[in-house]
Amino acid sequence: MSEQNETAATPTCWDATLAFWLLRGWLGLRAVMTGLEKYAQMGKVMKPWVDPKTGAADPGGAMVEASQKVYALANYSPIPQSMQDKFAAEPLLPAFMLKIFYVVLGPALIVLGLMLWLGIGTRISLFAQGLLYIGLTAGLIMIKADDGVAWLAIHVVLIAYALTLAKHNQLAVLKKW
Amino acid sequence: MASEFDFSRRGFLTTAMAAGAGLALKSGAAENAPAAAPAKTPPSNRIRYALIGCGEEGNVLLDALLKIEGIEIAAICDIWKYARDRVQKGLKRNNNIDIPAYEDFEELLAKEKDLQAVIVATPDFWHAPISNACLKKGLDVYCEKMMSNTMEGARSMVKTMQETGKLLQIGHQRRSSPRYRFVLNYLLRDLKLFGRMTAANAQWNRAVTPDRGAAKAITMKPELLAKYGYEDMYKFRNWRWFKKYGGGPLSDLGAHQIDIFNWYFGVMPVSVAASGGVDYYKEHEWFDNAMCIYEYKLPEGMARAFYQVQTTTSAGGGYWEYFMGDQGSIKMSENPSITQLFREANAPDWAEYIQKNYVMLKKSAAAPEENVKVDVRESKVLETYALPVGFNKVIHQPHLENFFNAMRGKEKLTCPADEAFRSESVIHKASEAIAARRTLDITPADYEV
Repeated sequence: MSEQNETAATPTCWDATLAFWLLRGWLGLRAVMTGLEKYAQMGKVMKPWVDPKTGAADPGGAMVEASQKVYALANYSPIPQSMQDKFAAEPLLPAFMLKIFYVVLGPALIVLGLMLWLGIGTRISLFAQGLLYIGLTAGLIMIKADDGVAWLAIHVVLIAYALTLAKHNQLAVLKKW
Repeated sequence: MASEFDFSRRGFLTTAMAAGAGLALKSGAAENAPAAAPAKTPPSNRIRYALIGCGEEGNVLLDALLKIEGIEIAAICDIWKYARDRVQKGLKRNNNIDIPAYEDFEELLAKEKDLQAVIVATPDFWHAPISNACLKKGLDVYCEKMMSNTMEGARSMVKTMQETGKLLQIGHQRRSSPRYRFVLNYLLRDLKLFGRMTAANAQWNRAVTPDRGAAKAITMKPELLAKYGYEDMYKFRNWRWFKKYGGGPLSDLGAHQIDIFNWYFGVMPVSVAASGGVDYYKEHEWFDNAMCIYEYKLPEGMARAFYQVQTTTSAGGGYWEYFMGDQGSIKMSENPSITQLFREANAPDWAEYIQKNYVMLKKSAAAPEENVKVDVRESKVLETYALPVGFNKVIHQPHLENFFNAMRGKEKLTCPADEAFRSESVIHKASEAIAARRTLDITPADYEV
């Protein structure tokens, strides 16, 4: 049955639609924000020193260094360096594959999250996110990061459940796929 | 005892508030001048200035000057074509600034009609003639320290400043440093963090360096050197070591730091004992190494300050001023990595000051291992702190900005010539003490104008 016929034949089940929207929102947010955070780094900025007695900035011009989060393409870091070092030591994870995975991970999360939010290839987006999390899980199993494995498993379960509810999706730019 | 210097935070705030109310403020000396002319600034409020002296210090100042908004370099001057051309071409190449370059400062003053200020960075013996001529021409002047290689020269600068009512800022740049002002205004004066101040210690030690030379192609002709008071090219290039031109290492390096003794203690010393000699560099007139001890009568009691300048070793970890009290101490330096604070083991806790961002804990006091304790009278290991404040400008920029802001009536000079003269007089006195090989008393008559 075509999607058009399916939509026409099935009355809207708003309980399932709302449930899907929640999953769509959360999984999209999770992917986009996780991807964006890979471009963030804590930088140092100078701010005026404030006199605690008067609450005013020092008239002499004294400044204090403060930490400030900065987003920039140059700051891209797919996963923490300590984890990269562990993956690099794994014989079952070839260097070229790791390199491709690191290059793709951040942009892919952002793109897939946006696709899910906007409803462009919803099922493809969900499935691809699932594959990304499975890829990460494989690495975490090898380095025995069991907490991370369990954490990613929850994501995969949510994605699988979202896929089962995808047919109830509404407000999508492109309902096909 | 009242402080001889009025650089308190309250004073600074008062100044700033007065400036906000539209009052044009001049230096202390200028305020007392009979006819203090208002600073002439063009409608655009841009200040046009000339740089006289294109040597190393002139280049350091120029680097800072080019970072300051609202000012415009109009001309440069140096008797040495090599230095003059280098700066002129550099400005054109790097900054797209095409300005005239003069050999003679009098020609510059005659031809450049729309100047408001002059920056003087020549050898010391030219400071007084040039600054005095510029002040009399109606220009405000920023002159590098020392004011002069002689007391008479320095005194004449103060007198000219007072007579003309123009501004004369002396280049003791620490006086405008946000870090130095922070320590003085908040830690020393407001919090009295270090308790009763009992001693200070400062140094600037430098490794052996060969005398400077000049390739034949860029050597000035004897007639030109003689015209500007130099015996030969060697003395021109190494003027700091000769009494006719400069004040020696106590003046070159110690001037900054002995000035900090006076500024931070807030009083002038009452005596100086010193020793030094020409023991290493046989070609020089000024001593290569010198050590001196000043006595300060502080309101809470006597404090002594030891200063040493060695030009034969870099030992001792660079340049710093160490102020010591019975509750703590600070090793202050223009180099933030050298700056450290220490809390005496018996002093009240500084947790409150950490929380309020006056200080930062760097290293907790670790108990010494018993087997390394060699003397039962050994003091406890102290907690080490860092200064949390800094500034995001080049070193000389705040002092130059203070000068231009004073020209605009927005601030008061942090180091006007009368103030600098008092402080520098005790540096000349240390050189006298070395020559006399005895302790000399210092009285207000020594720094009377």
